[in-house]
Amino acid sequence: MITETISFASVNVGDKLPGKEVPITSALIVGGALASRDFTSVHHDKKVAQANGLPDVFMNILTSNGLMGSYVTNWTGPDATVKKIALKLGAPNLPGFVMTLVGEIKAKDDSTGIVDIEVIGENNVWGMHMAGTVQVQLPQ
Amino acid sequence: MVKDKAAIVGIGNTEFSKNSGRSELQLTCEAVRAALDDAGLKPSDVDGMTTFTMDSTDEIELARAVGIGDITFYSRVPHGGGAATGLIHQAVMAIASGMCETVVCYRGLNGRSGHRFSEGVSGNIITADAMHWGWYMPSGLMTPASWVAMYTQRYMHLAGEDKVKEALFEVAYTTRQHGATNPAAMFYDHPFDRAEYDAQKKIVGPLKLYDCCLESDGASAVIITRADKARACKHGGVAIKGVGQSAAKNMESMTSFYRDEIAAIPSMDVAAKEAYKQSGLTPDDIDAAVIYDAFTPIVLWQLESWGFADPLKSADFVLEGGLRLDGRLPTNTHGGQLSEAYIHGVNGIVEATRLVRGTSKNQPDKEINHALVTSGVGVPTGGALLGKMD
Amino acid sequence: MTPEETKAFEEKIHAFVGRENGPPKRGNDDVNEAMIRHWAEVMGDELGTYTDAEYAAGTGKGGLIAPPAMLQAWSMEGYPMAENPAQDIQRQLHNVFDAHGFTGVLGTNTSTEFFRDLKPGDQVTAHCIIDTISEQKATGRGIGYFIETLTTYTDQNGEEVGKQVFRVLKFIPADSNDAADSSTEDDSPSVPTRITSPRGHDNSWWWKACDEGKILIQRCTSCQTLRHPPRPMCGECQSIEWDSIESTLDGEVYSFTTLHYPKIPGYQYPNTVGVIQLSEGTRLVANIVDIDYETIKIGMKVKGSVEQVDEKTMLPVFRPE
Repeated sequence: MITETISFASVNVGDKLPGKEVPITSALIVGGALASRDFTSVHHDKKVAQANGLPDVFMNILTSNGLMGSYVTNWTGPDATVKKIALKLGAPNLPGFVMTLVGEIKAKDDSTGIVDIEVIGENNVWGMHMAGTVQVQLPQ
Repeated sequence: MVKDKAAIVGIGNTEFSKNSGRSELQLTCEAVRAALDDAGLKPSDVDGMTTFTMDSTDEIELARAVGIGDITFYSRVPHGGGAATGLIHQAVMAIASGMCETVVCYRGLNGRSGHRFSEGVSGNIITADAMHWGWYMPSGLMTPASWVAMYTQRYMHLAGEDKVKEALFEVAYTTRQHGATNPAAMFYDHPFDRAEYDAQKKIVGPLKLYDCCLESDGASAVIITRADKARACKHGGVAIKGVGQSAAKNMESMTSFYRDEIAAIPSMDVAAKEAYKQSGLTPDDIDAAVIYDAFTPIVLWQLESWGFADPLKSADFVLEGGLRLDGRLPTNTHGGQLSEAYIHGVNGIVEATRLVRGTSKNQPDKEINHALVTSGVGVPTGGALLGKMD
Repeated sequence: MTPEETKAFEEKIHAFVGRENGPPKRGNDDVNEAMIRHWAEVMGDELGTYTDAEYAAGTGKGGLIAPPAMLQAWSMEGYPMAENPAQDIQRQLHNVFDAHGFTGVLGTNTSTEFFRDLKPGDQVTAHCIIDTISEQKATGRGIGYFIETLTTYTDQNGEEVGKQVFRVLKFIPADSNDAADSSTEDDSPSVPTRITSPRGHDNSWWWKACDEGKILIQRCTSCQTLRHPPRPMCGECQSIEWDSIESTLDGEVYSFTTLHYPKIPGYQYPNTVGVIQLSEGTRLVANIVDIDYETIKIGMKVKGSVEQVDEKTMLPVFRPE
């Protein structure tokens, strides 16, 4: 369990978060869809996904959003507060791919203690899956 | 010989953009009309045409759209950007041999909103030699940047990695400085510094984003006519002193990795020799240049081919400020294809003409009697020497 | 569609702009530990503030909270989406698109602001309006329109806890543009593989040997000159007679580069490719693997082997000796 929280003073613009590899499996795609209560067929039914032009089931945007959130809060620790998550989706995540997450601090607001972290998730087959920004308030 | 037989009398560009919102045919029509206006000629004065084999605009469609009448000469030059000064080459030969009098050379492309060259041969293979690309596609070596990078790595190994990297920055930086003060350039008003250059993403080691040219929508056209007719044109003429077209031994399109040494571009050596011989000029006579800059390192090698630096020594020339406006050879004063637009080098012919006319947005503070303009390299290539009319 | 039809269609869809998707929708479940745990397991959330009540009580949060990214999940419709989705205004809008061929749907952007952490027992109600519909766009997926919904989330006291802009693309799937050719037999497309060489008279023998694990070098039987890539005639003596020898794949790096962009489907990046000087004297372009590309040097000794690099492709690859 992660118990330390990163302090606002200890981070600087340009700092990079440790990269993380996320193996994309059917279990993650279907599990993420159900955890986010998204029963749209393309996220659990391969035949429907194929009818929509993709080789297999693909990750829903709520799971991508959740992975972006967990990537950042696992780094910040428990006493940080997420203020905003904004992401743009690119290529789909399919079973068998590996997504690599990287993050970099792009801005730091001394008055509010909020830092902007750019997060990019790229898969090894089709490239950019998601790119976005997580704003998180860190303790002083 | 072709020296002084023909002259450039009209030049025209469209605007350059990421999405022109119109057809390549229309872009080309607009550039041709601008070039005719610039020359003070009518469409019916045109009786010859040259373009790239790769160009999508059919000669007769263009003629019908612009109102050009009978045509007695048309030809196309292969190998993508390697064709740029090949258009001059074709036009001059046709005019000198009496096949026609006035040629329009054109190139129009939706290179950003349509087919993007950065994708290399991964998608629609646009050359007939699919089998040749088959030696490189399976390993993934299939983009122009990656082919150029392969030569670059070897060149750095022989010429000194640190110095060459500094020189690549200087090429990118100086070219962008020029683009930043050219209102027509896509990077107008957007200079960069070393920190911004270094911060760009790696495209293909050792090339970063700003070592690579733009992808643009737009068209450029040049009107070439017989020298004796040129004097009557609105801006007179810029004489074609010499023009070389060349492929060298043991060559492949972009992947000549099997020569004894690959840290040079022998095909441009051949073009330079030809053009100097035809014109009677030497490197000392050349006052400014437009050097094809799809990628920064290819500028270095061409400086060596054209005799401005010894083999493997062009980094010194560049680092001494040789490409700057006050340097020995002000180069790519429009911002080049790195910063103005990527119209396959034909916008470069337009700029070289301006340099001799004295009308560049970044006109160097000296008399430009002769200017060099080159075609894309790695492929069969060419180069032309332009100058004031006698 | 003709310009008139497009105009009529756009009038129809723009009539939806500004409308509420339906009455405010209260989540079927209040914020609760079980759904949070389920979420945290899948997303890899490792904070005790999400799953360990005792620990959470001692943190600045003062007790369990829900992962913020879950906000949208609380008021999702759930299982009926799969079989019989609610005919809300957004669905009706999508039906208009579907009827005009814009059957594809793709979530492209989501941007959520969080005004406070949610705790077990909180009740989330979503208030959603159709906010904007874009001009027609030509996208990588096909021609389509972006629809943006704006959802405000409130709690049991009617206070705003978050706000979300969600953008979807409704598009004409590229395939349906050439419907005449839509009867493909293979209904299970696989993960993309590498682009292979076209094979013809002058090169198929080489690639066939590669498929079988051998790298051959063409040899002129008249003057014994080796040549690669293969060509039908010897450039030295103009003979068209040739055979081949098998390379030992001993060599050194003559030059190399590492590709980062663009990323072509079927390849893994960064992707290092070398020009390998083989001990036989010819050169071969191939991948260099199992080495940090920053440490490769020209002149480095390498050894090759022919390997299966994906489901369909055999290729030579080189490793440092």
